[in-house]
Amino acid sequence: MTKALTRDDLLKAYRTMRTIREFEERLHTDFATGEIPGFVHLYAGEEASATGVCMNLTAEDHIASTHRGHGHCIAKGVDPVGMMAEIWGRKTGTCKGKGGSMHIADLSVGMLGANGIVGGGGPLVCGTALAAKLRGQPYVSVCFFGDGASNQGTIFEAMNLASVWNLPVIFLAENNGYAEATSSKFSVACDNIADRASAFGMPGITVDGFDFFAVYEAAGAAIERARKGGGPSLVEVKLSRYYGHFEGDQQTYRAPGEVQNIRDTKDCLLQFARRVTANGQISQAELDAIDAEVKALIDGSVAKAKSDPKPSEADLLTDVYVSY
Amino acid sequence: MKHSSSTAALGIIANPASGRDIRRLTSRALVFPTVEKVNMIERLLGAFAATGVQRVLMMPDLVGIAAGLLRAVEGRRGQGEAAWPEVEFLDMPLTDSALDTQRAVERMRAAGVAAIVVLGGDGTHRIVAGACGETPLATLSSGTNNAFPDLREATLTGLAAGLFAAGAVTPDEALVRNKRLRLQVGEREELALVEVCVTHLEHVGARAVWDPSSIAEVYAAFAEPDAIGLSSIVAGVSPVGRRQPQGAWVHCGGEGHGMLAPIAPGLVVPVPISASGLLQPDQPVALRSLRGSVALDGEREIELDGRQTATLTLELDGPLSLDVPATLDAAIRRGALHHPAMGRP
Repeated sequence: MTKALTRDDLLKAYRTMRTIREFEERLHTDFATGEIPGFVHLYAGEEASATGVCMNLTAEDHIASTHRGHGHCIAKGVDPVGMMAEIWGRKTGTCKGKGGSMHIADLSVGMLGANGIVGGGGPLVCGTALAAKLRGQPYVSVCFFGDGASNQGTIFEAMNLASVWNLPVIFLAENNGYAEATSSKFSVACDNIADRASAFGMPGITVDGFDFFAVYEAAGAAIERARKGGGPSLVEVKLSRYYGHFEGDQQTYRAPGEVQNIRDTKDCLLQFARRVTANGQISQAELDAIDAEVKALIDGSVAKAKSDPKPSEADLLTDVYVSY
Repeated sequence: MKHSSSTAALGIIANPASGRDIRRLTSRALVFPTVEKVNMIERLLGAFAATGVQRVLMMPDLVGIAAGLLRAVEGRRGQGEAAWPEVEFLDMPLTDSALDTQRAVERMRAAGVAAIVVLGGDGTHRIVAGACGETPLATLSSGTNNAFPDLREATLTGLAAGLFAAGAVTPDEALVRNKRLRLQVGEREELALVEVCVTHLEHVGARAVWDPSSIAEVYAAFAEPDAIGLSSIVAGVSPVGRRQPQGAWVHCGGEGHGMLAPIAPGLVVPVPISASGLLQPDQPVALRSLRGSVALDGEREIELDGRQTATLTLELDGPLSLDVPATLDAAIRRGALHHPAMGRP
């Protein structure tokens, strides 16, 4: 049974989702100035997924992320100040400013890394899950991937391997409906990614990705099952991204008003706030206070990132090779 | 049988979301893929065609059931296969929620279909029953904890629905009246076909109820010993048949005696029972007010803050449904399945 959410859990969930939203909204604004190097792919709109999943995890559990990884990082406990510096390419960043948005990794909190390779996370989590299994540790690994990656061979191979070796892996399909500019209606043959689980001998379920509580319970059941040796499972979270595939994407492939309609009716933060205030668990004043704290945190992270030093020429060849 | 040009149309509702919830993780519930739902509809269409049904109204959806069916319909053209009825996909806005089902049922009802074939679980049938009025339902299970719909080969349900639409059997022979539960929580009113379960779970969350310690009360319109789901808790104490003019209830928890109940596929768990009794028709009973949530036909739908008053009433005038064995039996006795081109045996 998934652990019941305490008041502190609810406050933490809201703070995490709000931090991701504020982080991404701020990047959306700042990226347009041209000062941030590389690409960013924003997670705004999908916050309930990363948060609902990661609140069931500990620092010893691992996750592998995607090119749209900021939300997964924050939810898994990576410091947003270091992340902002990383995205700005500063020496104080999570990966010393050498990785940027698509390669943020922090093994100290079990974050294996964002990943520029679509479907690249599946094999990685099979590795960490196998390590936990061989060591007799109760740790699980979660592979976040999208509807585009759901068609990649690496994901199929990883699902097969995880099933054959009965690994504690959760394949977490974040189906936001578009692989870059291609609708999943055109590109995913079975429409529900969860349907593919049965081909690999594992259960597959679909859950509303705008509803934190639904994701928390569904992911919790999958994670608890894996921890107890029940093996891998596939959880498909249906949600939507509020911005383009990357910043600068004009999104001509989306219907007019599609995103606004979702923001107005399904938004995970709105839904969460409405429900916890309606039943008296949390007051609106408490939520407002979190909003203000998070805004100050993100403002501070941007100011710091802008003033922090960039890597120097002397840093060029450090951290390139690692001896194990 | 005779093919009549006056054979009424039939409707098909296939819930794209059924058979895919958390119970695949918490129990051993089957996965019901979209492809199999399309296959079931194709089998229905074959049976409809054999009974002379010429027009079918189909609910569209966003996950590929209607799209799969369209591919199948177009793929048959020019293949020399037996003709299917004309399939008309309803032109309606889609929300990817239960509202789609409700809208589709309202349109089918307005179009005067003879019956609506429903593919889904108890939850799907609950939504359909709230909108179908006196239009009969032909029920097919494609969900999880299904007590209401038939677990039956779609070809036979299609045959019975087609024979009914063709007038080969009378409504008296083919239809049965079901019970329903009407729940009032504050201003909100909801219906359930099988059971209403009050839980200690504060949020609707992943909707299903699978932890026996979370169950506070169960009220059942019918509770049959061979049904899976939450109504099995009631069935273990006071079983009530579908046609019996009562319902039954249990309060769970406390120091009461425990009983084993199959509350989900593969999940036979002990549930402590502290009190039980019968529900009489049209006599409202008050639910215990608590913080928690209410599951309707197996899915949490309403969150309770402990301040609302909630009452529940058993009603005997619920939806009509097609009795497939009785329909086929009556049709065969009447010779309705004799093929016109062949001699009688």
